[in-house]
Amino acid sequence: MLVQYLPFLILFIVAVAFSGGAILLSRLLGPKRPNPVKLAPYESGMVPIGGTRRPFHIRYYLVAMLFILFDIEIIFLYPWAVIYLTARAARLFLLLEMIVFLGVLMIGYIYIWRKGALDWE
Amino acid sequence: MIAELVIFIILGIVAVSSAFAVILSKNPVYAVLFLVINFFALAMLYLVLSAQFVAFIQILVYAGAIMVLFLFVVMLLNLTGAIESLQDKLPAQRWLAPALGMVLLVEIAVVFLSGFFAQVPEASELPEGFGTSAPVGMLLFSRYVLPFEVTSAVLLIAMVGSIVLAKRRP
Amino acid sequence: MLPAYPYLILSAVLFTTGTLGVLIRRNPIIMFMSIELMLNAANLAFITFARYQQSMDGHVFVFIVMTVAAAEVAVGLGIIVAIFRLRGNINVDELDEMKG
Repeated sequence: MLVQYLPFLILFIVAVAFSGGAILLSRLLGPKRPNPVKLAPYESGMVPIGGTRRPFHIRYYLVAMLFILFDIEIIFLYPWAVIYLTARAARLFLLLEMIVFLGVLMIGYIYIWRKGALDWE
Repeated sequence: MIAELVIFIILGIVAVSSAFAVILSKNPVYAVLFLVINFFALAMLYLVLSAQFVAFIQILVYAGAIMVLFLFVVMLLNLTGAIESLQDKLPAQRWLAPALGMVLLVEIAVVFLSGFFAQVPEASELPEGFGTSAPVGMLLFSRYVLPFEVTSAVLLIAMVGSIVLAKRRP
Repeated sequence: MLPAYPYLILSAVLFTTGTLGVLIRRNPIIMFMSIELMLNAANLAFITFARYQQSMDGHVFVFIVMTVAAAEVAVGLGIIVAIFRLRGNINVDELDEMKG
């Protein structure tokens, strides 16, 4: 059981070692000649304006929240899709179940749409 | 056996210390990041307990989505530690809480010592495909149809509620 | 394979940590995260029992718990944001106007 996930563990260790090693080596080996321009945060070549700790706009929060709820919906679709292939007798029942589930969520989707939560302005 | 013990000890230390870091860190941003570490450690433990599907759902939903929302709210409100310095209305709670926590832990220990867990069977060989997505789906869509459909209602209510709470009225 | 109780002890310790977090901290976001810790401790117990009883019902429960946690986070953080916009701070000790 555990042995099955050995490649996964190796990948994880390699990823951590590679990224950590890159940061560590560049800190150890790289020359350090700082000046104010170099130390300024990188803003795609623009001169940065104001501080970085500005609060986000609430719009982003709304989008993230709706993302989570629909993310959960997708999680339920995944095992359904896996067993739908192999189920023979119960297919109609499975399909009806999922139609009811998605139908209820579709009401929420229409509500969100009508309320204008998806509009950016 | 030895390998599992070593993995369990490492993951257990990571999980417990990151949990304490969550409740003790002054800066909520660090608390969120420690909670992500905690969720990863738990996901690894789920893998050890051969709950593969749930382990990946844990990373996808908890570490990937829920913690992002937490980070968003921390950044949105932007109150880094300022709130904790305010006057505490119930100063006794700070001392009472660890005591009550110890009581809870002792209670659980009593349950352990009373032999309740002697009823838990020893580990044995698992059937093929235990913990993969197909058997989870089989149960979820047959025996647990009703919870599954009620879940959709919970999600609908959460959607409507979050829109009502967060949308600015015109 | 280890016996079940190390996992259950770990679950109990994590649950107690979450309880402590709710009681000690006054920052509602961290109190919320402590509730997530408690939910995850319960999930660990579910998965442990599922493994040792060889029945996958516990996995389904964990699924449902995760869904409820996501809905709870969406609404709960929405409430925190709404309170913040209304009052300008989110001190939980000041939210006591609903006393009878």
